[in-house]
Amino acid sequence: MSKYILPVFIIGVIIVGFIKKVPVYDSFVSGVRQSMDLLISILPYFCTILIAVELFSLSGLNKYLEKLLEPVFTALGIPSQLCELLIIRPLSGNGSIALLQSLYLEHGADSYIARCASVIVGASETTFYIATVYFSTVKAHKLRYAIPVSLIASYVGAVVACIVCRYI
Amino acid sequence: MNFVFFLMVAISMIVLTIISPDSAFGVMLSGARKSIELALSLFAIYSIWLSILEIMDKIGLNKQLNKLFKPINKRLFKGESDKALEYISLNLSANLLGMGSAATPMGIKAIESMSDGSEKASDNMALLMVINATSIQLVPATVIGMRLAAGSASASDIILPSLIATAVSTVCGVILSKLCAAISKKLRKYKPQSSAKLNEKDNTLPLASIGKKSKDVSCKAPLYHARGGDK
Repeated sequence: MSKYILPVFIIGVIIVGFIKKVPVYDSFVSGVRQSMDLLISILPYFCTILIAVELFSLSGLNKYLEKLLEPVFTALGIPSQLCELLIIRPLSGNGSIALLQSLYLEHGADSYIARCASVIVGASETTFYIATVYFSTVKAHKLRYAIPVSLIASYVGAVVACIVCRYI
Repeated sequence: MNFVFFLMVAISMIVLTIISPDSAFGVMLSGARKSIELALSLFAIYSIWLSILEIMDKIGLNKQLNKLFKPINKRLFKGESDKALEYISLNLSANLLGMGSAATPMGIKAIESMSDGSEKASDNMALLMVINATSIQLVPATVIGMRLAAGSASASDIILPSLIATAVSTVCGVILSKLCAAISKKLRKYKPQSSAKLNEKDNTLPLASIGKKSKDVSCKAPLYHARGGDK
């Protein structure tokens, strides 16, 4: 069912647009042009943040942070196997998907660990990507409390996920 | 952001240089290369969504969506223009439907139309970012697909837990950001030298206003060039 939503929606928009005499071709050209401008303003931030993330994960620093935070996470009721995922999740979308895959292979897709991990990935977002990309075209680069609040709220969600998965 | 970035890069570089000095530069390079690959794929996705968005705007679908979300948005994002609210409701509905790739360009447009050119993010911008960062997806389709592929017997049994977790995290995020907004408002009242006060008392503080003007000019100049370059 859900696989029809996207194509049907796009067909609907184009057909209604055509009936209402919207220049569909010109709209696409202008959309791509906007996307190009967007790309140019995003890329510097994107590149910078990915250099930092790459350094962070390949230097083994994430493993140290994991060890540091493990007692905190286990005290909150989060299994220690999920610590790595919780640290990578706000930094890298692809990284956390890859990690989720390896958790499935290691523990089985229907295990408690795998279910918790699925809920954590499904119910959160790549916070640092959002923080850099959303604000890339405006001058506002002092995000004040936005990042810490997002991280705290996401971790509250993760704790809830581990509790809920135990009972549902 | 500057401080977080410095910490991440400096400590990682030091550790890498100690462990394997040969690879330190290569790792930086591979990060940069990844960003270009990812940016190109994002360019493709944004091109399609911004085009669809343009047509949606012209057939008036955006206004209708805006009406649907107005009762909530008006309370959450007080004092925003209709155009900004329109983009916010587009962003939220794309998020709810799990179209993350469509949500991003709409979120960027929302932030753009909320911006007043100041260097600090406003409370409403921060709130929009927090809502996006805590995810409000109704059905985590990607994860369910991955579980199916991994041989799960009941791949969709994570829908309800995800819904609960995401609802809790989003509500928690909204409450926390409203709290932070209220606290920073109070702090601004007590601090006489804060930027808010300077703006109000431009006439009585000539020095401050001169400083502010020169800053404005220096900020506007590169912006003008960038715009000219685009055309």
